[in-house]
Order: sequence, then structure tokens, then C-alpha cells
Amino acid sequence: MSRDVTLGSVVRSEWLKFRTVRSSISGVIVTFVLTIGLGALVTSLLRAHWSTTSPARRLTFDPVTTSLVGVIFAQFAIGVIGSLYLTSEYSSGSIRTTLAAVPNRVQLVSGKLIVLVTSLFVVSEVACFTTFLMGQAIFSGVVPTASLSNSTVLRAVIFAGLYLTLLSALAFSLGLILRQSAACISVFVSILLVLPLIIIFLPSSWQNDAMRFLPNEMGRAMTSVSPVANHFSALGSLITLLIYVVVLLGIGTTLMSRRDA
Amino acid sequence: MIKLEHLTKRYHETLAVDDLDFEVQPGVITGFLGPNGSGKSTTMRIILGLDHPTKGRATIKGKRYGELRAPLHEVGALLDAKAIHPGRSARNHLRALATSNRIPFSRVDDVLEFAGITSVANKKVGNFSLGMSQRLGIAGALLGDPEVLLFDEPVNGLDPEGVRWIRDLFRSLANEGRTVFVSSHLMSEMAVTADQIIVIGRGRFITQGSIDALTATAKGTVFVRAANHARLTDALNTKGGVVSDVNDEGLSVSELTSDQIGQAAFDAGVAIYELTPQRASLEDVFMELTADAVEYGSSGVRHES
Repeated sequence: MSRDVTLGSVVRSEWLKFRTVRSSISGVIVTFVLTIGLGALVTSLLRAHWSTTSPARRLTFDPVTTSLVGVIFAQFAIGVIGSLYLTSEYSSGSIRTTLAAVPNRVQLVSGKLIVLVTSLFVVSEVACFTTFLMGQAIFSGVVPTASLSNSTVLRAVIFAGLYLTLLSALAFSLGLILRQSAACISVFVSILLVLPLIIIFLPSSWQNDAMRFLPNEMGRAMTSVSPVANHFSALGSLITLLIYVVVLLGIGTTLMSRRDA
Repeated sequence: MIKLEHLTKRYHETLAVDDLDFEVQPGVITGFLGPNGSGKSTTMRIILGLDHPTKGRATIKGKRYGELRAPLHEVGALLDAKAIHPGRSARNHLRALATSNRIPFSRVDDVLEFAGITSVANKKVGNFSLGMSQRLGIAGALLGDPEVLLFDEPVNGLDPEGVRWIRDLFRSLANEGRTVFVSSHLMSEMAVTADQIIVIGRGRFITQGSIDALTATAKGTVFVRAANHARLTDALNTKGGVVSDVNDEGLSVSELTSDQIGQAAFDAGVAIYELTPQRASLEDVFMELTADAVEYGSSGVRHES
């Protein structure tokens, strides 16, 4: 019947909810500011000091990665948006109202995920392409630049946006499992910042094997123009990160269906 | 119509809901009464498919909540009025609910108007008083024009005018043939609101019936003032009466009617000065019914030995 709850109606409802709270709107703004602002800052500094930069550093200089430096910071803003998107419903208790309107957990999670991933995909790609183009414009004439007409460069910029999008889905999945904002954000930040520190203490032969499985290292491989040593390829990293997200989503959705709201 | 069949919910060691088995009928206001912590909210959450029962099931018009295709069109509920995202406006909160169940936005404006909160509809819910939140919650419950309505402690935080408004609302909803299921821990509130009452304590069913039937089942006492209280007490004891509160003022007698007491006094040759049946108040009935089932009684501090 035309009044039945469908995936489409859940998506429209969740989209209305997503754009009517300040945390998601300010999160999106912070993502833009960090990605583009830090990109502008770093590229301008590099241009200003290029004449005094050593030949060795000039040799390894990568205009793509450098212009995308803001992604490293934006990933935390993205993680907060993805976490709060669900956990704020648990902290306010509004999840009960939501589930009374949409009792099918799988339908609800799917609708929420579609809204989150679609909107943050657009936000991330716009931010990454803007910071890339702006960075190259700032470099132009002084520092070597890269062009999107090179398919590897184009891939690196697109994958930078995909990396951020996948991180939002990862944070959302953690939210499904943990349900608490603080716990969810802490775990997300730990995955990106603490896990790499732990790896440092492993024997060096293990380090090389383990490194490639870290999400932040996958991000490095995805946004790099040349292959990174001991890492998966860019596509391999994308697929591995996607598998992480799918597994966590599966666990999270199962838990949500089984647990009391 | 709401139907509970051997509904049981266990949290670790505690039985929050213990084998509840009853029906809530349409066309009347059914009060769901019990002390705090007696399992009322848990029962309502299970009916709404939010919590999973350990055993048994709860159905609405024969279907479990999760089987409803357009739940807001069939069931409206107000559980916790404050459980709304504080950063969203009242109108956007209702619009999001409406969108998921394909209810037109014009209906959102209608229920806002009906609940008397149109003037604050664009304000953030976080700034709402409890009374305003209750009105918003009721607006949300009415959104899909449902036949079955559940309200958990709806009068909390309402001013007297709001309490009156909500009672009138329940009455008109029931008169329209809808099922109205209202929980409360206050017998006095239910006495003026509900037609039928279901009493639970510690998750267990205690009794069910109309207000009048419930008061009638409660043991009334008879206050007696007589010329010789000691002789009268002996006479009443032999007739099976229970005498308490013996003092110079008079006797409080239970288990005997005033007719039987009068006859006993006449037989014993004791002059009666006063014979007054004391009808149990609704509050007394409730206390008596739930005496064994109060989760957090005020029976003094328990010392660990």
C-alpha cells in the first residue's frame, strides 16, 4: 500500500534528519575547512620555501599527496559525523521513536547508511578535488604540478574522497556496535592513531606485514600516485577497507536486531 | 486491540515482566497501573517491538509490531517525551517521522495545532519544558491517525490545564472506538481517567477490572464506638470479626458488616453510639493490592550484618 514504509521513505526521512541537526552540518563544514584550508596552507608554505628546498627533497616531492594533506585531519571530522549520526539517537533516546516508525532494523540501517555515504561521498570528493586543484594552482609556475589528465593522479584524488567516505561508514558501523558517542569516537581515533603506534613496537619483520592492514596506511596507499612499499596497491587497499566496513556493518546490524533498543 | 500472551522479560536475574496475559479492548480507556519499577514501561516497549520478550508475545490486531508495514498508521505511542534529539525543531522532528511512514506534511501542521504547540514548532526541542515535550510526544502519537494508542505516564510534567486537555483527548479517542492504553503509577489519576484498570506489581498481573469493581473487592472496615469496648471486642471476636485500633475513641472492625456488628452488640447487651462503614479509598486499594509487589519500598534501612 502507498503508506507502507519503504527503503525510499526511510532514506527521505533520514536525509531530513541528517540535514536538520547542527552536528552533521558543522561536521561537514569542518571537513571542508580542514581539507581545503590545510591544503592551501601547506602548499603556500612549500611554494614560498621552494627555492631553499634541498635537491633530495625535491626529488621525492609529490604534488598530489602534498595538496591532499588536509585529508589526514578531515578523517577525524568525518569519523565524528559518522559516529554521532547513530550514537546521538541512542544518547537522546530518540532511537526508540525512530524504531517505532521504522521497526525493520535492516531497513533502518540501510536507509541511514545510504544517506550518510551518499552525502559524505559528495562532500569528500568536492573537498578533495577542490584542495587538489587549488594546490596545483598555488604551485603553478614555481613548484612542479600534477594534472588530472594523468589517470593515476585522477585515481589518487578520487580515492582520497572514497577513503574519507569509507571511514564515515566505518565510524557508523562502530556506532551500531558500541552505541555510545564517546566510546565510538575513542575507538575510531584509536584505530587511526593508536594502532600505528602499537605496530612500531612489533619486530620489524612483522611491521612490514602488519602495516598494510591499518586503515590509515590504506589511506596512504589509496592517495599515493606511486605504489607504497609493503602496502597493498591502491585498489587492493580500497577493497580491504571496504571488507572491514562490510564485516563491521554486518556485526553491527546483527547486534542491533538482537539487542533491546 | 492489544493482546499479551504469557509475556515474560528477564534481565539477567530479574524478571521485569512475569507471564503477563491480558487483552486491551478498543473503545475504552485502559489504565495500566503499578508502582514504579513494576514493569509497565518494559511491557510497553515490548508491545512496540523495541525490546524482545524472553517468552510469550505481544500483538496488535493479531500482528507483532515488527510485522506492521506502516506502523505509525496503526499504532501511536508516547513513551519518553524527552527522548527526542534536542537539536532538532519540533516541526522537523514530526516531519521526519511523517516522511518515513508517508504521512503528508499538512498532517504535521494539524497535529502541532491540535497539541497547541504551533507557536514553538520551529524552536529546538532541547529548550522545551517537560509539559511542551509531552504535547509534542502526543502530537507524534496522533500523527498517523492510529487506531491503537499507548501512553507511558503521559501526565508527568503537565500543568492542570494540560492534564485536563489530555484526559479529554483520551476520552474522545476512546469514544471514536480506538484502543487507548495509558500507564500510571498514580491510582488517583487512573480513577478519573480510565474505564478499565489492569494492575501489575513486580512484573506480575495482580488484578483487572473497572474502578468500581476494584474498590468493591477491597476490604472495607467499620468504625464502632460503644459503651463497653472490651466486651464488644470479645463479642465480635467470637463472630469472626477482626478488631484493630482499640482505644478510647472506638474500634476499627474488619471481616464483619455493620449489620452483623450491630446484631452482635445487641446480643451482648452493649449500647452502640456510632457505627460507620469506612469505604476503602482507591489509594488504599492500590496500596493493598501492590503491597507485596513494591520494588522500592520505604520499609526502612536494611543493615548488612
